Amino acid sequence: MIRRWLSRFRKRGEAPDETIVVDGARKSAGGRAGSRIFMMMVMFFCVYGVIAGRLVYYGSHDEEDSGPPPARPTEARPDIVDRNGEILATDIKTASLYAEPRHIVDVDEAIDKLHSVLPDLNYEDTYRKLKSHAGFVWLRRQLTPKQEADILALGVPGLGFRMERKRFYPGGSMAAHILGLVNIDNKGLAGMEKYIDEQGLSILQATGLATQQDLKPVRLSIDARVQHVLHDELTQSMEKYRAIAAGGVVLNAKTGEILGMVSLPDYDPNNPYNALEKNRFNRMTNGVFEMGSTFKTFTTAMALDSGKVHLSDKFDTTHPLHYGRYTIHDYEPKHRWLTVPEIFKYSSNIGTALEAEKVSIEHNKEFLTNLGLLTRVPIELPEVATPEQPKVWKPINQITIAFGHGVATTPLQTAVAGMAILDGGLLIEPTLLPRTQAQADEHTKRVIKASTSQDMKYLFRLNAEQGSGRQARVPGYFVGGKTGTAEKVVNGKYSHSKNFDAFLAGFPINDPQYVTLVILDEPKPYGGWPATAGANCAPTTANIIRRIAPLLGVEPEFGHQLQSLLVSYN
Amino acid sequence: MFRTTDIVLIAVMIGAAAVTYRIKQGAENELEHIQKIKTQIRLEHDTINLLKADWSLISQPKRLQKLVDLYQAQLNLQPTSSEQIVTLDQLPMRPVKMPAPPDSAQVAQNGHDGVVTGSLKK
Repeated sequence: MIRRWLSRFRKRGEAPDETIVVDGARKSAGGRAGSRIFMMMVMFFCVYGVIAGRLVYYGSHDEEDSGPPPARPTEARPDIVDRNGEILATDIKTASLYAEPRHIVDVDEAIDKLHSVLPDLNYEDTYRKLKSHAGFVWLRRQLTPKQEADILALGVPGLGFRMERKRFYPGGSMAAHILGLVNIDNKGLAGMEKYIDEQGLSILQATGLATQQDLKPVRLSIDARVQHVLHDELTQSMEKYRAIAAGGVVLNAKTGEILGMVSLPDYDPNNPYNALEKNRFNRMTNGVFEMGSTFKTFTTAMALDSGKVHLSDKFDTTHPLHYGRYTIHDYEPKHRWLTVPEIFKYSSNIGTALEAEKVSIEHNKEFLTNLGLLTRVPIELPEVATPEQPKVWKPINQITIAFGHGVATTPLQTAVAGMAILDGGLLIEPTLLPRTQAQADEHTKRVIKASTSQDMKYLFRLNAEQGSGRQARVPGYFVGGKTGTAEKVVNGKYSHSKNFDAFLAGFPINDPQYVTLVILDEPKPYGGWPATAGANCAPTTANIIRRIAPLLGVEPEFGHQLQSLLVSYN
Repeated sequence: MFRTTDIVLIAVMIGAAAVTYRIKQGAENELEHIQKIKTQIRLEHDTINLLKADWSLISQPKRLQKLVDLYQAQLNLQPTSSEQIVTLDQLPMRPVKMPAPPDSAQVAQNGHDGVVTGSLKK
């Protein structure tokens, strides 16, 4: 073939040898035909090029789904687990049912079949939706997996499911205020959910790196069992004493970890329709209260720590104290000189005021600031209130603050300060995240001398043995505590009928492992007892400790109580 | 001659097309398979998540407490009281049970007991 072509070329090459060249009419016509052929070729190339291009395009691109609009972008969130790995919050996928009315063959049949799975389906409404010419309609959001499977089994054409992520809290309201809330787009609105977002999750989500599998669960310091006990006991107490609110916290005195924190009334984060009600805020961190006699713990510790007052010192509580137009009374006046332990035991306002007077106002203010009682408590939760104190501390302020009126603090920070007093004088920042002893030491600061702490532990035990905290005793667990019954301010005056009760306790008090604080807002008298902390908060604390101490592995000890051990061998 | 080359080239072309088709088809099948497995993995993950949530729901302390209250008559479960917790060193020694001594009256009646010692001759 090639040779033939070459010979032809040679022949053509010979042509210039001819001397006379005459171009005929046919040749001139042939020249025009050549350009026409060329044009035809270009046209065919174009057409086939377009067809080939389209083929390549269709081959490399998947056909796009027609039908439902893109799903609502619900971002993945990490699970939240307690310190033992129990799930507190997780993402679950729920199926939502949609229909494409154009693809539905027989509307009546479809509705009849759907009705067998979803008995509460509105017939007329659904009929109207399916008869419409819309390309897409939602029929039911967030079905259970069982319902989804049943609907699939019906085999109705034109129905489909879209998976949606939903935040689920198995514990319900158990840890509502700690966990907080998410909105419909799975963004944290409150509590630890918001904290997690602020720690960089929102950036991960924005860049699309947050996928369910990659996100490690966030572990909290909370113990679900302790949290439940706290919630359960406080719910019972709130009902029993008809209080308008209740709260409690359990702290690990060695590391500052919060093992449980409850504020009632609360809400169910799975259905938070009432979460924003005024009464349902987190009282433990976001509410400030005058703590009343519980504050005497700090006044006594301050007086003892200054070295100006000793345990054996006596103070004259014979008569009420007069300060200008104020008079300070005792709740149960003893009308005699009392020693420091007696003042603590009988919760004498006069005695405590006299103790505070020994210390300068400047030092008093500095001491409370050191204890973290006058500044915002450092904690992961976004909802933290700033304590209230007088703008200018006058002598009368110092006197009233001595027994807990005039400074309003959050219950959590009172518990944290109490923990510092009882745990050898070291203030540890509280946390909702797990922490080792070494990590805790980095957040520790000495606020009082170890010897003062020792004296305070003695006073706490004394108060639980003989004083107002008697009802908090739990055999074997050696509870020590301080009650506080503050009169609430109503219309600018202290009310005699509305109390705010608190009980601060540590156990075992010889070397406290755990510190608890229980508060009841406006409890009513019960069973012949007045509405004082000793009669309601103390027994509540006892119930809580009785249940949580074995869970937390606190060894009961009876040695000092001379109780015989009953053993039976079978 | 030209026919032979033609035929060979055509054969090579068809062969190449066939091989390409096979490879493409195989890759597509594999992709489909991978897609299927991926879907299955996702489904399994979702199921695991759901089961975990479910487990957490049914093992809630609140629910367990309710169940304990409900079946109190059968189960008779009580909270552990502090008196029930002791350490090993707090327990007294377990009394040792001695085997009962042989009945001395019978031994006296027979005049001898069953014990044979080396010093006795029959």
